[in-house]
Amino acid sequence: MVIVKRKELSFAEQLYIPEILRGLSITFRKMFEPKVTRQYPEEALIKTDVTRGQPRLVVNEDNSIACVSCGLCEAACPAYAITIDGGETEREIEREPKRFDIDMLRCILCGFCEEACPKDAIYMSDELELADYSREALIYDMDKLKRPKKALQDRIDYVNRINDRWQTPSST
Amino acid sequence: MVKITVNGQQIEADPKKPLIHACHTHDVDVPMYCYHPGLSPVGSCRICQVEVKQGEAPGRVMVACRTYPAEGMVVDTESPKAHETRRECLEFLLKNHPLDCPICDKAGECDLQDFTYAEGQAAGRTHEPRRPLEKRKSLGDTIVLDEERCILCSRCVRFFEEIPKQAQLTVSDLGSRSVISTFMDKPLKGKYQGNIADLCPVGALTLTKFRFQARVWNLTKMASTCGECSRGCSTTVEVLRGSDVKRIRPRENLDVNGWWICDIGRFAFSHINAPNRLEGSLVREVPGLSIARNEDALCAVRDMMMRHKEVLFLVSPWLTVEEGQKLLDYSKRFGSKPIFVSPEHNSEKDTVLHTGDPCPNRRGLTELGIEGLPQKAAIERMQKSKCIVLLGERIVELIGASAVEALPHATSVAVFDCHALDLPQVQACVGIANSAERTGTWVNIDGVKGPIAAVKPTPRNVRALERHLDDLVKLSPSTESMGARAR
Repeated sequence: MVIVKRKELSFAEQLYIPEILRGLSITFRKMFEPKVTRQYPEEALIKTDVTRGQPRLVVNEDNSIACVSCGLCEAACPAYAITIDGGETEREIEREPKRFDIDMLRCILCGFCEEACPKDAIYMSDELELADYSREALIYDMDKLKRPKKALQDRIDYVNRINDRWQTPSST
Repeated sequence: MVKITVNGQQIEADPKKPLIHACHTHDVDVPMYCYHPGLSPVGSCRICQVEVKQGEAPGRVMVACRTYPAEGMVVDTESPKAHETRRECLEFLLKNHPLDCPICDKAGECDLQDFTYAEGQAAGRTHEPRRPLEKRKSLGDTIVLDEERCILCSRCVRFFEEIPKQAQLTVSDLGSRSVISTFMDKPLKGKYQGNIADLCPVGALTLTKFRFQARVWNLTKMASTCGECSRGCSTTVEVLRGSDVKRIRPRENLDVNGWWICDIGRFAFSHINAPNRLEGSLVREVPGLSIARNEDALCAVRDMMMRHKEVLFLVSPWLTVEEGQKLLDYSKRFGSKPIFVSPEHNSEKDTVLHTGDPCPNRRGLTELGIEGLPQKAAIERMQKSKCIVLLGERIVELIGASAVEALPHATSVAVFDCHALDLPQVQACVGIANSAERTGTWVNIDGVKGPIAAVKPTPRNVRALERHLDDLVKLSPSTESMGARAR
């Protein structure tokens, strides 16, 4: 056990007035310095490549979904937020998701899905806002998750850059 | 029996069975693609190579599936030489194997994937493009062949030659152009086609009905028994997220089915997945059948039975031994004996597995003392009866809704089935669990007990027939007072 002794106050400190003036002087000085607080809902957040928002699915240039419903993101997801049902497609890739649900209330934005994806089909977008009137509306289906590749390009480039740094192939 | 040494461990091995069999029975892992315990060994994949020393000669690397144990043999499955040879073999097998594991249905249960992962060879050394072949070649209604993924182990070829004894597949063309194909590109026929999809060590042969339906690691698997004939093949029922049965696969059981199952049993899940299940119970009220609590429905059934002198208990052949015993005990109170509907033998009988008798538990129920009655005779008995209780899954399907409809309107019928039967004669319907939702035992034609296990939850308010029978016993007056009624 450690006994911490209270600091003995000096006479000037006991007077209270000089101390409060010292405190107020800091307050008034800070008032004229540039502000760093952001008025969040009115003012947008600064988003960078590193921003890890909600996961979104990549749609290729030819309007087809990049996902092949391999289920690796579903397996990697620590919050069990992803549910995928696969199915056959006439495209050359043979397989595509028929249902791809992410329960945004469960999603913890960890980015494991992005890391697990062997087909570069899911990326953490910079979309962060999440509000609705019912829980059902926050289970996002494929239509809500699809984003054109261009919209996610900044994040894709960033992830590729990081992957190159660790010298692991980003895709097969 | 001969004495051999495997990895320093003295074991006894059967000289008539390949070395790999001795290794596997003593928990020594040797990879295999072309070898299958149920088929003759050919030694075409070379992945099972192990180092074998005999006498004074230096160790040689040999395929364990084509080498037979001999007295004094010293086998090392983990020697650097054996590892190196296997790794080289693997590299050749992977040379043209497409890297489409994310798409391939076999991923997760693929021998090639598992062994590649174990050997830790992450990157290939070839720069040449992989050989392009047909990705979606239909081999009839059941099987789709992906030629690129095939490693030409010829398990499927040997299966058709050896099990149904009707050769249908062959390795055609030569060298790097070799592919598996049917004679003259005819579609596969027969009812054992599905087995080759299980046999395939890679994802080359896939079932059309399972293709891209689910990832195998998401399936809940449970040991069960096939209910399509009296053979009672051991199966594994696989369910996706507690809802639909996605596939049924054979489970190794040398007493009954070996490693195989017929396609009838393999695809017999449409009735399990059938929509419009009866969730809870229905009781006849003035306008028609209306939703009721299970207890109220059971009371209605009890009252119906008490009103009549004779009660006919007609049960389905899918009843388990346990359910049969409970029902037998209960029906004694009414002085009657349950009868199971026994459909006539169908034309599916063959020399491999199918017995042609569609009652999976015929022997179990007969041994309990429940007699079987053909459909026609059962319907005749129903017409003579005033009070009928139909019990068991698929009982309505078996006797036909029209047979119930044809009964006089004064007849009272109670139904315990998975689906409701809305006819004026029906007084109450009670929903029960189907064979993927309940546990029990079926006894096959040779007297081998087969378990059925609950692999998924029942729908809301649905319980197993056994539970309903327990409650009926509780709700009914005691046996003594029932005896007084009979007097």
